[in-house]
Amino acid sequence: MGAHDPRIAIIGGGIGGLTLALALRQRGLAATVYEQATQLTEIGAAVALSANATRELRRLGVLDPVTAASCEPTELIYRDWRTGARVAAHPVRDGGAYQARFGAPYYGIHRADLQQALSGALGGDGLHLGHRLTALDDQGGTMRLTFANGHVAEADLVVGADGVRSMVRQYVTAGEGIVYSGTSALRGIVPTAALPSLPDPHAIQFWMGRDAHLLHYAIGGQGQDVNYFAVMEGPREWSAAGSVAEIGRDEALAAFEGWHPAVTEMVAAVPHHKRWGLFVVRPLMHWHRGRAVLLGDSAHAMVPHHGQGANTTIEDAITLAELLPGVAADAMDGMMATYQHLRRARTRKVQRSSWATNGLLHLPDGPAVAWRDQRMARFPQDFAWIHEHDAMATARAARPVQAAA
Amino acid sequence: MADGIEAGLAEVLHATVGIDPARITPASRLREDLGINSLTMIDVACAAEDRFGIRIPDDDLERFVTVADAVAFLRGAGA
Repeated sequence: MGAHDPRIAIIGGGIGGLTLALALRQRGLAATVYEQATQLTEIGAAVALSANATRELRRLGVLDPVTAASCEPTELIYRDWRTGARVAAHPVRDGGAYQARFGAPYYGIHRADLQQALSGALGGDGLHLGHRLTALDDQGGTMRLTFANGHVAEADLVVGADGVRSMVRQYVTAGEGIVYSGTSALRGIVPTAALPSLPDPHAIQFWMGRDAHLLHYAIGGQGQDVNYFAVMEGPREWSAAGSVAEIGRDEALAAFEGWHPAVTEMVAAVPHHKRWGLFVVRPLMHWHRGRAVLLGDSAHAMVPHHGQGANTTIEDAITLAELLPGVAADAMDGMMATYQHLRRARTRKVQRSSWATNGLLHLPDGPAVAWRDQRMARFPQDFAWIHEHDAMATARAARPVQAAA
Repeated sequence: MADGIEAGLAEVLHATVGIDPARITPASRLREDLGINSLTMIDVACAAEDRFGIRIPDDDLERFVTVADAVAFLRGAGA
C-alpha cells in the first residue's frame, strides 16, 4: 500500500462493499468499510449465484468456503401452478451442463454464509460497524464523511454500496429515487424434509400461475433447506414507510389458494406476517459525482426474477477494483466515467430483462401459455449473455482506453 | 438526415452498433431494417442519453419503431 494511494471509503458492508474491499486488497489497495449495522448479519434469506459472479469469487480466492455452504441445483425447472407439470426444464448440475457451458458454477447460498466467506477472507481490518453515514461534503477533492455516531472521516473516493435506499445516491444524483414495481413478495427458508409434496427438491424451480409465481432453490452444503420467494402482483400502491409491511397469514395463504401442495406447504410453513415490496431504481443517467460513485442496488436495484441483484453487484465491484489501481488523483473522473460506461448499459439490460420476465411468469391459463412455454424452452440460449459475462476481462480490456483518454 | 439530432443519432447508431450512416433514413425501422435487438437497443439508448443529455425511459424506448420516432422523442424532450 503506497503513501500516495487514494483513501477509499466504502459505505455499506453488504455483499457489494465486502467484495469490493477484498478485490481492492487483492490489487494492493486498502479500503475502509463503514456499515451502519452493529453486526454483519445479512438479512434477506438466500441468494442465487451464477457464473458471472462465481468466476469472480474464484478469482478472489473465496469460492471454496462459498461452495461448502452452497447447493448446486440439479435442474432449472418451470412448472404449472396447479398441476405441477413441467413446462420447461434445463440441466444445471445434471451432467455438469451449466459449468461446462459457463466455466463456473451456479449456487444457492444463504446470504449470511456468503457474507461470512467474504468477511472471513477480508478479516476485521478496515471494517467499521455501527457507522451510519449522515452527510457527505466535497471539500475541494477531499470528501468529508459524517456519521450518526459522531465519527468524522476523510476520503479521496467514496463508494456508495449502501443499498436501494442509498444515502450516497442522494449525493450523486439528487432527486433520483426508488420506484415501487407494483409487485410484492413473501419469502422464507423451510427445511427440505418439511416439504413432502415437493418434487425435485434440489432443483431451482419456478411455479407459475395467474398474477403470481413462486421461485425456490435449496441452500446449505447438503441442500438441507429450501429458500423460497413468492411474488404476487400488487398491492397497487405501497403505503408502508419501508420495504416491509405486515400481512396476515390468511392473506398470504389466500394468494396461493388452489396451487400445488408443494407451493402451499412452503407458504404455510413460515409464520409470515411480512410482505416485501419490490422496489427498483430507475436506470440512472449518472453513477458518479465529484469523488463519489455508486455500486450495486444503490445504482440499479432490480426485480429478482433473473436472480441477478447480487451477481451484478459483484460484477460492479470487480469492475471498479480493476479500474482503480494506479489512477492518479486527476484521472479519477475519467476512471469513474469508464466504470459508468461499462456498467450502466449492462445493468440496465439485466434490469429490463428481469422485469420483462415478470409478465411471462404471471400469465393466466389460456392461449398465451403455449407461447410462454416455447419461450422458456429457449431460455438457456436467450439468457446466456447474463451468465457468460466476464466483468474482470471486460474491465481489463477497457483500461488502455482509460489510460489514453 | 437533416438536423443536428438526426445526425447525432446516426453517429450514435454507428458508434454503438456499427450501422453505416448512409443506410439510415428517418423511415428506417430500428429492429427490422437496422437489426437492433432488445439488448443492443439499450446500448443505443445509453449512448443517446449521454450524447443528448436526455433520459430515455424504457417505456418510451420500446415505442420507437423508426428512426423518426426516436428523433421526435428527443426533439420533444428538448434535445
